[in-house]
Amino acid sequence: MAEEFLVVKDLHKSFNEFKAVNGVSFSIEKGEIFGLLGPNGAGKTTTIRMLSTVLGADSGDATIGGHSIRRDAEAVRRIIGVCPQDLALYEDLSALDNMVFFGRMAGLNGDEARAQAMTNLELMGLEDRARGKVAKFSGGMKRRINLAIALMGNPQLLFLDEPTVGIDPQSRNHIYENILGLQKKGMTILYTTHYMEEADRLCQRVAIMDGGQIITLDTPYKLKSQIGSPEQVTMEDVFLKLTGRSLRD
Amino acid sequence: MKRALYITLNEVKLYLQDKGDLAFGLLLPIVTFALMYGAFGGQTLFEATAVIVNEDGGNYSTLFVEQLDEVEGIDVELLTATEADAKLERSDLLLALVIPAGFSETLASGNKAELVFKQRGNGGQEGQILASIARSVAEEMNQEFQVRDQVKSNLEGTGIPEDRIDVTVQQFLEEERGQPAVGVVEEVVGGSPDFISQFLPGIVTMYVLFALALSARTIVEERKRGTLERLLTTRLSANELFFGKFLASVAKGFVQTLILLGLSYAVFQLFTPLSFIASLIICLIFAAAAAALGLIIASIARSEDGSVWIAVVFTMVMVMMGGTFFQVSEGSILATVGKASISTYANDALRTVVAEGGSLGDTVWQLVVLAGICVVGLAISRLIFKVLPGSK
Ligand SMILES: Nc1ncnc2c1ncn2[C@@H]1O[C@H](COP(=O)(O)OP(=O)(O)OP(=O)(O)O)[C@@H](O)[C@H]1O
Ligand SMILES: [Mg+2]
Repeated sequence: MAEEFLVVKDLHKSFNEFKAVNGVSFSIEKGEIFGLLGPNGAGKTTTIRMLSTVLGADSGDATIGGHSIRRDAEAVRRIIGVCPQDLALYEDLSALDNMVFFGRMAGLNGDEARAQAMTNLELMGLEDRARGKVAKFSGGMKRRINLAIALMGNPQLLFLDEPTVGIDPQSRNHIYENILGLQKKGMTILYTTHYMEEADRLCQRVAIMDGGQIITLDTPYKLKSQIGSPEQVTMEDVFLKLTGRSLRD
Repeated sequence: MKRALYITLNEVKLYLQDKGDLAFGLLLPIVTFALMYGAFGGQTLFEATAVIVNEDGGNYSTLFVEQLDEVEGIDVELLTATEADAKLERSDLLLALVIPAGFSETLASGNKAELVFKQRGNGGQEGQILASIARSVAEEMNQEFQVRDQVKSNLEGTGIPEDRIDVTVQQFLEEERGQPAVGVVEEVVGGSPDFISQFLPGIVTMYVLFALALSARTIVEERKRGTLERLLTTRLSANELFFGKFLASVAKGFVQTLILLGLSYAVFQLFTPLSFIASLIICLIFAAAAAALGLIIASIARSEDGSVWIAVVFTMVMVMMGGTFFQVSEGSILATVGKASISTYANDALRTVVAEGGSLGDTVWQLVVLAGICVVGLAISRLIFKVLPGSK
């Protein structure tokens, strides 16, 4: 069994009386792309916010690279990169300025930050828009910058919270290849998405969350085999079967 | 702490990108200043050039020219008669003072001499004022002559040599000119004679407080936009983030004062290099105190609008209570209430330096209060500052 890079143990988080995350445990191996799926409001983003140390957990703990998110948040932050679900960029700055700024925050010096910024912009196919103001970018382009920022500083663990929403199929395919490229370089990735074929294609294992809990966790292949012939059923079938067809909040 | 400085730099960069904030923060102080200049810029002294045609060239005419030149605000330009005539002809000049030939000689012989005002039309407003100033100078010379004559005639026959009398009288008259028996003391009711130096401190402190509103808003905005939370997933600590925002806020407030004070220095010569630096130091400490309070507002405000409203109300109350537009007389109720306004201390300190010629040493008490507000404000805001609800 490979080295476990992220280990989550019984995380809980309530907002007022509402249990957003209700006892979540799982682990991700080093170099794995792990999918966290689930309907709206399942608690995926809340889980990621706790794991990325910005939100305190009510109880439970997790270790990333051996560092506890509760006791050693600082060490955790040195090795993670986060692509938040909602755009978090300075729209009034250029793409490059955004990347360089966050690169500096990730501990790079000026030259390193600029060099990495250009590399990552190329990964996103936006190198010729480097000096353009983000406010003038299209929605999908902003998304790509949002993702590119997460790569600054070469984190060992990436949290990608719906990174490809609103991105056109061409760019999305380009991004998949790059994510697989990052994995080859040894990066560990926690990936959430509502595109089931995306999870099927990228993730070695997926967990499906609902109501703040993980209801199943396995490889896409095994999950599909549970409900039929894996060649014929899709992850979407699995998802709907497990989480029901009724609408969520 | 290096990362805190990047936060500050980034914020300043964003500030320079935001046209609205820039207009509010930098353009408005300049406009205010221009208005101040328009209102008070010409207020100083009557200034004019007196054109004199000195056809005499003797002792007394030279003395007259000298005395007129000594009058504050009056410059003397000597022209020949033909030059002056040509200018009067072309209306380039409305009034020339002509000292006719033989002026000194006539006076020396004890007879009355005359000055000629050559003027076009009524000489113009400036010309009339000049003429009346020239008249009073001549009048003064007249009186001095009378004194001299009187003394001479009284001492006639005492054997005191005439040049001795002349020298003594001359000395006496010069002393008298320096310290007139009947002096004039200007007493202006309702403030010091210099409006700008009275007004400037209030304007400056008000803008610093406005800057606080901008800073509070940008922080709330950033929290909402998610970049604050994103920053916390990096190596940046909450303390560094807090400190970086504080510095940025100080910088924004300070830039405005730099513009206002710099312009007043350049245009009104309100400062000496030393008092300029003293004023900047006062403003810096005040900007720091205001920034700390701005962080408290950013910590308690739930929305951008909320932060702006709290900041504006806070600013207006401070400004009203702080004697921004008028000097609060000591012992009044307002003076007591004003002690609760941060503006009071900044205004007092600035007025001491700008209007009363005091030094930093005279403002220690105010500066200590401001620094105290800054420290306490920082402590409180750090305690309640949350990047987002539920975070550190
Ligand atoms: N700050 C908060 N205050 C109160 N409730 C919250 C807060 N953040 C999240 N919640 C609630 O917690 C639940 C889980 O939210 P979360 O954002 O984790 O869901 P998610 O799985 O990421 O959903 P989505 O797929 O829509 O992004 C939701 O019901 C949400 O309303
Ligand atoms: Mg989410």
